[in-house]
Amino acid sequence: MPELVDIRPLLAVLASLLCAGAVFTVRRSARWRAFWSLAAAGIKFALVWSMLPGILAGRVYAYQFGELLPGVAFGFRVDALGLFFALVSSTLWVLTTIYALAYMRNSHSLHRFFGFFALCISTTVGIAFAENLLTLFVFYELLTVCTYPLIMHNENLEARRAGRKYLVYTLSGGGLILAGMLAVYFMTGTLSLAEAGILDASIPHAWLLAIFVLLIAGFGVKAALMPLHAWLPAAMVAPTPVSALLHAVAVVKAGVFGILRTIYNVFGVDLLRDLGYAHWLAMLAGTVILIASVKALRQTNFKARLAWSTISQLSYIVLAAALLAPLAALAAIMHIANQAFAKITMFFVAGAIERATGKTRVDQLAGIGRQMPWTMASFTLASLSFMGVPLMAGFVTKWYLSLGALQAGSGIFVGVMVLSGLLNASYWLPMVYQAWFRPPADTGANLVPVSPMMVVPILVCAGYVILLGIGANAPAMPFSVAEAAARFAFELKVPLE
Amino acid sequence: MIDWPHWLPLLAVLPLVGGVLTPLLFHRLPNAACFWAASIAALTLAVAVALLVRLLASGGFGYAVGGWLPQYGIELRFDEIGALAVAAGFIALLSLVFSRHYVARAVEPDRAPLYYALVLINLGGLNGFLVTGDLFNLFVFMEIFSVSAYALVAMARAPIAALAALKYLLLGALSSLLVLFSVGVVFAMTGTLNIEDAAVLLDASSAMPAGLALAGLATGFAVKAALFPVHFWLPDAHAAAPAPVSAILSALVVKAGVVGLLRTLELFAGGDDLLQPLLTLIVWLGALGALGGALMALVQRDIKRMLAYSTVANIGYIFIGLGLATASAVSGAMVHSVNHAVMKSALFLAAGAIIHRTGLRNIDDLRGLGRRMPITAFGMAVALIALSGVPPAAGFVGKWQIALGALEAGQPWLVAVLVVAGIVVLAFGVRVINALYFRPPARVPVASAIEVPASMWLPVLLLAVASLALGLAGTPMLAFVGPAVQSVYGTIP
Amino acid sequence: MNILATALGHVDYLVAVALFLIGAWILVTSGNLVKKVIGLNVMETSVFAFIVTTGMIDGGAPPLVVEGMEGPYASPLPHALVLTGIVVAVSITSLALVLILRVKSQFGSIELDEIVPTDEARGDADSDAVGGDDD
Repeated sequence: MPELVDIRPLLAVLASLLCAGAVFTVRRSARWRAFWSLAAAGIKFALVWSMLPGILAGRVYAYQFGELLPGVAFGFRVDALGLFFALVSSTLWVLTTIYALAYMRNSHSLHRFFGFFALCISTTVGIAFAENLLTLFVFYELLTVCTYPLIMHNENLEARRAGRKYLVYTLSGGGLILAGMLAVYFMTGTLSLAEAGILDASIPHAWLLAIFVLLIAGFGVKAALMPLHAWLPAAMVAPTPVSALLHAVAVVKAGVFGILRTIYNVFGVDLLRDLGYAHWLAMLAGTVILIASVKALRQTNFKARLAWSTISQLSYIVLAAALLAPLAALAAIMHIANQAFAKITMFFVAGAIERATGKTRVDQLAGIGRQMPWTMASFTLASLSFMGVPLMAGFVTKWYLSLGALQAGSGIFVGVMVLSGLLNASYWLPMVYQAWFRPPADTGANLVPVSPMMVVPILVCAGYVILLGIGANAPAMPFSVAEAAARFAFELKVPLE
Repeated sequence: MIDWPHWLPLLAVLPLVGGVLTPLLFHRLPNAACFWAASIAALTLAVAVALLVRLLASGGFGYAVGGWLPQYGIELRFDEIGALAVAAGFIALLSLVFSRHYVARAVEPDRAPLYYALVLINLGGLNGFLVTGDLFNLFVFMEIFSVSAYALVAMARAPIAALAALKYLLLGALSSLLVLFSVGVVFAMTGTLNIEDAAVLLDASSAMPAGLALAGLATGFAVKAALFPVHFWLPDAHAAAPAPVSAILSALVVKAGVVGLLRTLELFAGGDDLLQPLLTLIVWLGALGALGGALMALVQRDIKRMLAYSTVANIGYIFIGLGLATASAVSGAMVHSVNHAVMKSALFLAAGAIIHRTGLRNIDDLRGLGRRMPITAFGMAVALIALSGVPPAAGFVGKWQIALGALEAGQPWLVAVLVVAGIVVLAFGVRVINALYFRPPARVPVASAIEVPASMWLPVLLLAVASLALGLAGTPMLAFVGPAVQSVYGTIP
Repeated sequence: MNILATALGHVDYLVAVALFLIGAWILVTSGNLVKKVIGLNVMETSVFAFIVTTGMIDGGAPPLVVEGMEGPYASPLPHALVLTGIVVAVSITSLALVLILRVKSQFGSIELDEIVPTDEARGDADSDAVGGDDD
């Protein structure tokens, strides 16, 4: 695989870092703040997408400078998996920024909010492009630091409690990762993520088990893997764009991405298959999918239901990765995008409804489809995707995950897929039904019009949900990148299908 | 120019003479005294940098005081450990700049020139301590910086200051006596006071008196460094002192204890039967100190006491590193000594700026200050995050290296200690950050506070930026201290 | 027995150690600040005595090279060290006494258990709260 020195990975991280600095410094002018926030998202978007053709052609972009610690470089390396994650987050970032500019219009401390907002995308792309585990960890911890002021944005008691919980969980997770990383470095003398597996069977099994538990539990905190999930439902007190950021784009995906890196690049599928640890992880993830769905069913707060649904959906990715089958790996990587676009649609919808009507409970939605048709149409598409209806993004995941489960000889997880689809239907469909087929409780006279800057991102995201479902095989779509990443993890030369 | 031999003595002589002259020249002229002291400190820093350049170019070098050759005369040596003088000069200079407005309020006006004199004398004593190659001079310079430190703590106006200074003095004098006694034992055994010479001669000596000397030196320097459980003088003294003095004490004076211990180990290198139990003990005490100090910091209300306990925790880190005695751990401990100095002085100066403006020191009273004093609060937040070891800030290098050393030494439980202590440190950092940024003001002085003058925020900002930048300089710094590790511990795995 | 013989051969060392311990005992146990300083002085004296005796040689002459005076000479170095040490000790004692005077004038006592530091003594400004929430 040809490795090219290219400054774009560095620029992608730096661009929004500098724009964030500009956002912090223009304290009063809302227009310049909007300009720099959009510049941060836009430049990054362009830079990340510009690397797509090269990656599809099989190239790898790398950029290194200096050593962070003896023997561990500080460097970026863009491979298919990293680029896929960066594509998803940078695309969503543009939409989230537009949405946030409208949603947050009358809030306080906006320079702080948008400054840290821009920093978050910088660190997320840093995670995606990290050349080694330490660089990844650096950005992972910085992401924690940068999201904290966003969660605390409302500065009330509830926000402080949520913020405290978030920090306790994520920092403890960071501590576990640090310990695991130290063990990896001590055993192998490298932290590089450039190979499919840097650990090997000659290392004592007690160490391997310790490394696996430390890294999976550490990344599992941000991936909201039960029982390490409690921060996620609490953190929904934050403003809606922040919830979108936490649930769909950056934070939870950073955790999931870390788990994927652990499985594919630190251990490697062959070693893990021999060790058998992944089987237990798959069992755990399968259980979490069902438990979290049941919990979601019992929530009455819109955003709380979304939060539990996120926990359930993230475990799809963990389950798919833990199956250690090529097609399941494809499902794992694809679901990063599928879940992100569907979930962010839903969060945007929840925020728009809250702004328009002040309603935050799922049983208040009667007839809202007639009042906000475009918004609710998008919501319906997203919920169909979660149920796994064909032609929607979620179906692609479930299809390949089931195929992967059969490939790995664990047919039971196909049952989990079906059951989870039913559960999803049982908590999304009543909402859709209420919204469209029940008469509204009020006339809608006091409806606050929603800014187009909020509606357009919703429609774009919903459009992507369909596009990902029907156009999965189009050449420039993320699917081919995901396939390349899965091929690399399993060291396959031929296409998967 | 760089090779001019007399730079080395100047490192100590310049601030000492400058300090002694201060009250004579600038009686009743506090501003002029401040300018003078800062100039002297800047010159000292320049000298230290010149020495560092020579060290980098051609390795360690010595200087025979008065032309008397070593073994007979007094020898000064400049090595990688002595290069701490650069950090000392830098932090002392910034503390002096910071002091100009701070001292006008915190110290009686007619005592201000005396204050500047004592800071310079303290710096001179520290520098002398760092570069001396002679055991007795080690003691003399230690007393110079110790006595000036006792007096500096007492300079604060708060009534508690005298009591805190007295406690510090009694314990400090006791530890100095232990050191002097041990120097006497070494002299009686070897007939020499030169450290290199004594290290050669001591090898063949019998274990009993050597053990006594080692125990005396180690205990004495452990007290100076505030190693758990002989740390209890530190929170009182560091919390009561004027803020720039707290910065110098926490950043530099406790590190002198660490350097003293390193020099001591150098003396006994090769005596594995003696050293091994001591090193094991140091690791345990360091671990207890790291956890205990961090937890104590968490429950403090007074911000300066919180920072003081955090110093106890960081000294614990450093001693874990020294005790593990692997190359990674020891070099990590040495680098962490410098990094902690920078971060902690940033924090104490920021706390000083806040106390200067508002008179408040309880963390809960600082609510809402982030908007009123943006630069100071920013400096404090950055340094707190750096201190907790979030990569790639300065606190991370030491943590990583020491934890790696723990794995190399086959003691993985220490990794858990370091990780947990790091999380606790961040927990109290977050408490302060929450108060500063995410809560409405609760006290009148906060609501009317404005940012401090540039001579106060600039040092805070510089040190805060340095505590980020030093994290990126981890590799060269670790490589730099490498030779010192070898010379102290001999050949280690 | 060997240790005992060595010890008896150096009664001076034993005396120094005994003095050191007595001083340390006073320093640690006494609650009176002046007595603590006295304890410190006793310890200092013991260390000085110890170092001076290390330079002693039986029948040694003062280290002055003059006509008619022949070796062995006693080592002069310990005396020089102790002189320096005494200077340091005097300065520490005087500083300690001055600080005790300040403590006495501020707290009205030099007994440690009678001194109760308050918040005000720590230098905290007293001002009124303007409200704000608590959790």
